[in-house]
Amino acid sequence: MTLKASAPILEVRNVSKTFGGLKAVTDFALELHKGDLQGLIGPNGAGKTTCFNLLTGVYRPDAGVGERIVLDGQSLVGLRPSRIAAQGLSRTFQNIRLFGELSVLDNVKLACHVRVTYSMLGGVLRTAGCLGQEAAITERAMELLRLFDLHDRAAEQGRHLPYGAQRRLEIARALATSPKVLLLDEPAAGMNPQEKVELAKLIRRVRDEFDVTILLIEHDMGLVMDICERITVLDYGRTIASGTPAHVQADPRVIQAYLGAVDDEPAPAAGGTHA
Amino acid sequence: MDSRLGPAPPRAHWPPPRAHEQARGYYPPFTVLEKFLQTLMDGLAVGSLYALIALGYTMVYGILKFINFAHSDIFVLGAWISYATALFAGYNDLDPAAAGIQAAPFPVWVLYGLGGATFVALVVAGIPKLQGRPLSESARALLLGVTWAWACAGMALAARVLQGAGWSIVGGGAILICSMLTCGLVGFTLERVAYKPLRNAPRLNVLITAIGISLLLQNLGQLEWMFGTRPQGMPSLLPDAVLAEIGGSRPSPDADWTVQPVRIRLLDVIAAGTAIVLMLALDRLVFHTKIGRAMRAVSFSERNAALMGIPVDRVISFTFVLGSMLAAAAGFLYAQKYTKLGQTADTVWVLLGLKAFVAAVVGGIGNIRGAMLGGILIGLLEFFGVAYLIPQLRDVYVFGVLILVLLVRPGGILGSTAVEKV
Amino acid sequence: MAWSLSSRASQLGPPAAWSLVRGVLPFLACVAVAILAQVILKPFLITTLGWDFAAKMIVDVGINIVLAVSLTLVNGFTGQFSIGHAAFMAVGGYTAAAIVYYGSYRIAGNPDLAGGVLSSMLVGREAPWFTPHDLLFLVAMLAGGVVAALCGYLVGLPSLRLKGDYLAIVTLGFGEIVRVLIQSQTGDVLYDPEEIAQTPAWKLAGSLGGSLGFSGLPFYTSFFWVYLLVLVTLLLAWRIKNSSYGRALISIREDEIASEAMGVDTTRFKIRAFVLSAFLAGCAGALFAHTVGVQLNAAELGFVKSFDIIIMVVLGGLGSISGAVIAAIILTILPEALRGVAEYRMVAYAVALIVMMLVRPKGLLGVHEVWERAAWDWLLGASKRKGAGR
Repeated sequence: MTLKASAPILEVRNVSKTFGGLKAVTDFALELHKGDLQGLIGPNGAGKTTCFNLLTGVYRPDAGVGERIVLDGQSLVGLRPSRIAAQGLSRTFQNIRLFGELSVLDNVKLACHVRVTYSMLGGVLRTAGCLGQEAAITERAMELLRLFDLHDRAAEQGRHLPYGAQRRLEIARALATSPKVLLLDEPAAGMNPQEKVELAKLIRRVRDEFDVTILLIEHDMGLVMDICERITVLDYGRTIASGTPAHVQADPRVIQAYLGAVDDEPAPAAGGTHA
Repeated sequence: MDSRLGPAPPRAHWPPPRAHEQARGYYPPFTVLEKFLQTLMDGLAVGSLYALIALGYTMVYGILKFINFAHSDIFVLGAWISYATALFAGYNDLDPAAAGIQAAPFPVWVLYGLGGATFVALVVAGIPKLQGRPLSESARALLLGVTWAWACAGMALAARVLQGAGWSIVGGGAILICSMLTCGLVGFTLERVAYKPLRNAPRLNVLITAIGISLLLQNLGQLEWMFGTRPQGMPSLLPDAVLAEIGGSRPSPDADWTVQPVRIRLLDVIAAGTAIVLMLALDRLVFHTKIGRAMRAVSFSERNAALMGIPVDRVISFTFVLGSMLAAAAGFLYAQKYTKLGQTADTVWVLLGLKAFVAAVVGGIGNIRGAMLGGILIGLLEFFGVAYLIPQLRDVYVFGVLILVLLVRPGGILGSTAVEKV
Repeated sequence: MAWSLSSRASQLGPPAAWSLVRGVLPFLACVAVAILAQVILKPFLITTLGWDFAAKMIVDVGINIVLAVSLTLVNGFTGQFSIGHAAFMAVGGYTAAAIVYYGSYRIAGNPDLAGGVLSSMLVGREAPWFTPHDLLFLVAMLAGGVVAALCGYLVGLPSLRLKGDYLAIVTLGFGEIVRVLIQSQTGDVLYDPEEIAQTPAWKLAGSLGGSLGFSGLPFYTSFFWVYLLVLVTLLLAWRIKNSSYGRALISIREDEIASEAMGVDTTRFKIRAFVLSAFLAGCAGALFAHTVGVQLNAAELGFVKSFDIIIMVVLGGLGSISGAVIAAIILTILPEALRGVAEYRMVAYAVALIVMMLVRPKGLLGVHEVWERAAWDWLLGASKRKGAGR
């Protein structure tokens, strides 16, 4: 492990989650530094999405084991998901969760809500602050849509978008919360090769232009190996390897996890299926 | 079955006052223990009726995940159908003038006759044409429905014959079955006509439709050629005897009671007994038969059940029929216990059905044993609340406990809450 | 983090004075329109045309619009299923009734109508423009709203733990509890000025008529009050819908988990929706209590009334303000229009409801407003235009 000199922007330690008797995640640890683009991979059911849910507060990590999730100096343990989003940790969902009846534009505008400072009464009275912020939000949302090539469909309802566009909209929406760290849960699932290539470019561009740190779960090994600088591999809730793509690819435990040990049934390596 | 404290009670008070006449305070003096026991008994009797209705709610919720608001109207309908059929069969033990009873406004025989006639017409005209061809699902449903209506008419006639022959108790049973069959048919029709097209619609729509059906049943029932808007007195079809009088005291065996005894009434025993038998039968059906397994499968996942070759539509229809039949039985028994039938839109009666729904939720909706437990609990709660706390607040106890239970255990006592997968 | 909302907002925002005008002027316009309705439309309808009944219907329609639009905030926008809305109406109505009735006794020694020109449906009544009694009525209405809003807060709390049908049952249970408590636990209305003057206020608050209903209330509800509340409610709902807060509410309806993940504090917003909705329903209840020909009785404000309001919201289209308004108008007039078929009218009403749900499950307008093209796609047969969606 090569540690960078600066303090990590997201530091995770001793995070575990048990559902009944099932240990979904055990001692998950992670360090993200500003501007990192890290991958989180593992076979189906390895606990990747559970990790995301733990980080974003959907689940609470098991208490009393020294659990620690620190984003830019702020502890996130025990905060509700909306507080965590406000602190600057945003995510997309593996099974797309757009606001189907809202327009594409409103989907993105909603995500700006976390930065809104005018009050509900201000909204009713349409104060100067309200109008100004609404204008700024619309401008920002259109900018994001343009970046994700969704601007000509801004008025359509989210549920009418084709699948690939819905995935892009999810990323745009997550970015609209102005996050410090962005968690992408299988952003390329269901995309065709052409779309995947574009997505890879887009993710890099987002990282550079928006100055965010990205952690992504992905089953498409080509994409992960291509864009991620570091990769963490999970299996049965445990971290079995961590390092550069080349390092991880060569790790025998990773190969075993994906291809199975001699006495295990072979499992398909990288499908677009859900974890 | 005599009381512990002396010889049999005098027959002077025969027939004994019916339950609703003594509903308030049961004749003043009561010892602590006897009051407790009497409340317990009443609570259990009514609770088991709640449980019967709750089963229908819970089964439908378990399978289709929506509150069938029309279920409480099926319960009221069950009571009214048994009233109308009883009058048709010639039962009328109450003095019409005193009780303000009108002649049966509901022409049972017209409906049943129509059913029968259609059946005959179908047999004569339809069957030869259909020979050698598999019936379509809707034709099959229609045929089944008509046959079913025929069975209802048969039971009504049987009740009439039995009553005429002096076998009035057996006739009462026939009326119970007739009412159950008719409500089953109504439930079947409602599901096919109104709910099935909405199978994949948002749940809110189904709920509104259910409210619509509830309104429809209430207002149809109030029409003059149906049941009318006047409350009616239910003739007594089951023998109402006091099986035993426990405790109590009086100066001599012939004198009036100075302290009320606990009266175990045959009617309560029959009501609770019928309810328990039906519940046990249902429990067996759901957990030990093929159709029960299919029901549980559909409740777990309608789509997957369909993929496994389970005829989902038929299972859902079956569930509705079953639930409606149980509600009708509860309606019959409740009308026997509390003889006054309110009009079909009477909020007191509709509220009874809603309280049964509360019972289903408290027990854990979707859980059959939970519905039974919830029903008994709600019955007991209501009667103990009325007997020991402020009597006018009986509905408040029920809904208050509902809110408390949901806040402490959102899934109900025996239920479990599904966690949404993120 | 280069982008900062507040700095960009200050560049884009209009000058404060201008926004003050644009923000507040519409509310003043509401008052003006309501006054016009009272001083021009009312005499025209009643005196010139002699349509007393139409005037009465217009008041009923207005109250139902407020109820439907306020429920839209909870059921339509936020997607929380509340079926105890009439309880808020009852709470607001009884609160306002107690204040107006006993307040009038304390001020004037009798409960007779003593409002100004704006507070009456009577024609040809000599009165000043404004009397202290108008103020009393306004205060009573707002107090009714506030007490209802407190109840709304209480009912909103379970929504933190309960979803969908379970919440619906709790709201239903709450509604029934309120109804039973008012019916069975309140004493007779007092009529004797002496007695009222000597009875402490807390005791008066318990003398609401019980199961007999609160009789003897003065009829303050007029075109002015009803349409003032209607217009303010509409403006409120419209502006909330088109602000960041409206989007936040709707996002809860669409996907609560995603909404929370995007930084919307869903519990807080659900409670806010309940509180605001209950406030408006409470005000509507206050108007209802003081309407000509209405005898305030909790028995009529049970779950049946709640269902009526829900039907309006759903038929109009969940989330559509104009849909709720249209449905409220239609469904208030329909039962009256069906009087021709007397006993069949409720049957017809029920059948219409079921058929509507079968052929147009999203309600009249879906989530759209009446002037949006998408609302009429289903009628124009253009719903297949977009293709992709299901």
